[in-house]
Amino acid sequence: MFGPLSLSLAPYVKSSRSLSKWVTPFAKWYANAMGYRKYGFKYDDLITEENDQMQRALGRLTQREQYDRAWRMKRASHASVLHAPLPKEQWTPESEDTRYLEPHVEDILREEKERKAWDTLVVEKK
Amino acid sequence: MLAARASTARSAQRIARSFATVVDTTGVKVAAVDYNQPTASVTVLVKAGSRFQPKDGAANALKNFAFKSTSSRSAIGTVRESELYGGVLSSTLGREHLALTAEFLKADAPYFVDILTSFVTSAKFTRHEFEEYVAPVVSAETEAASRDPATLAIDTAHGLAFRSGLGSSLFAPAHHDLTVDDVKSFASSIFTKSNIAVLGTGIDQATLSSLVEKAFAKASESSAVSTPASKYFGGETRLGGTGGPQTVFIGFGTTGSPSAEHAALAAHLSPTPSIKWSKGLSPLSSLPEGISVQPVYLPYTDASLFGLLVQGPTTASVKEASKAAIAALKAASQGIKAEELKSAVAKAKFAAASSVETREGLVNALGSKIFSGVNTSLVATLSSLDAVDASAFSKATANLLAAKPTYVVIGDVHLPYVDELGL
Repeated sequence: MFGPLSLSLAPYVKSSRSLSKWVTPFAKWYANAMGYRKYGFKYDDLITEENDQMQRALGRLTQREQYDRAWRMKRASHASVLHAPLPKEQWTPESEDTRYLEPHVEDILREEKERKAWDTLVVEKK
Repeated sequence: MLAARASTARSAQRIARSFATVVDTTGVKVAAVDYNQPTASVTVLVKAGSRFQPKDGAANALKNFAFKSTSSRSAIGTVRESELYGGVLSSTLGREHLALTAEFLKADAPYFVDILTSFVTSAKFTRHEFEEYVAPVVSAETEAASRDPATLAIDTAHGLAFRSGLGSSLFAPAHHDLTVDDVKSFASSIFTKSNIAVLGTGIDQATLSSLVEKAFAKASESSAVSTPASKYFGGETRLGGTGGPQTVFIGFGTTGSPSAEHAALAAHLSPTPSIKWSKGLSPLSSLPEGISVQPVYLPYTDASLFGLLVQGPTTASVKEASKAAIAALKAASQGIKAEELKSAVAKAKFAAASSVETREGLVNALGSKIFSGVNTSLVATLSSLDAVDASAFSKATANLLAAKPTYVVIGDVHLPYVDELGL
């Protein structure tokens, strides 16, 4: 229901100039208030990875992206052990908080949907 | 009048049956033969064989990328839809050409031509498809080839004989560092109109031309790829066995266009009998059971490799058979009896004629000729074989033997060295 892959009003908001002008400051404030950036995460690091689709999506990252992701996880776990956010210079800047994983997940969901459609296809004679 | 119409129809059919004519359709060469078969096939032939690859294994990877996702349909869509139509898709790689083939029922031509052409014009070459589907198959093919001494021997022999160009392997190196970008850049450099030919069987030339014209309207129009002319070097190499039979390959290369004499020589030496239960009349037919000596004749556009592949269970028997094979070659270079030449030429003519009856044979026969624009008719091949006489035959054989041999050994250390065989 909630989270990086849930339903989103963002495309609608982005399509309207005046609406995005009003909502963007609030969205920026909200993203910072969530606190994941204080632990060096990116938004896509929050997607639940304990399922087949996510495992396949993770396999499609480049070696560099996989390494960076593991590094962020490790650094955040360490910060969690210390019961304190990272020092401020290590927080994720807004410019680096990119959706590096979401396109892959969406590709995989689309592929699964297509496979299901082909599996349950009813062939009719013309 | 009715009779006249029937006869013109028959003669028109005879013309259609004679052989493929090559027509240039908006820069793409199209040839079709229609023998009124119940099924049709279309082959898109691309000058993307291993001799043109910029990096080792790129051609093999491109072959295995065939029928993956394009901008018009996904990989699974291609497979499932083809299954619904009941067609068969395949891709084969040679040293000169990559062939993408679809075989299908006649009515489904538009769909299958679209599958073939959309791969050429709009393949996506995604990284995950390369890593999930293509790279494992590329490695598996390399592995399978390394376990088969005959394939490995001939592949290695090409490397020794021609070094670069024709010498590049059909397979990727065992630990390759290919990336999807290598394949993508190779594909974009060779998928241009002048590098593509379309061959159809069981399909009307006009139908195929119009389908191809529509599909390749947007294809890029740069010049054809070319490589430096092949040179023959020769050499010797020895590889450890992988559990198969002891294998010796004795090859001789020539440059220039393929000659009919070599085809006749291969037919002369071939121990394959024409009748069941007979051992055949070839000079190599008298070898003991369990040992095979096969002449290998591989013609390319600007060079050819002729060789004898000797395989047997023990090193001693393979050594004997290799000596006998070289003796037979030398005897052929001294001279040949008229009736032996006659039967060799007949055998070669039959092989040439019967090979164009199959789809793969037709594609092979047309493949090298269609790009160069020379006469593509079978009649020309047969008449060049007819023109072979005894002196030209032995002269061609002597010329082969005069060059430095290409010698590949796969198996135990006791297998003979090339100087032990009297070459």
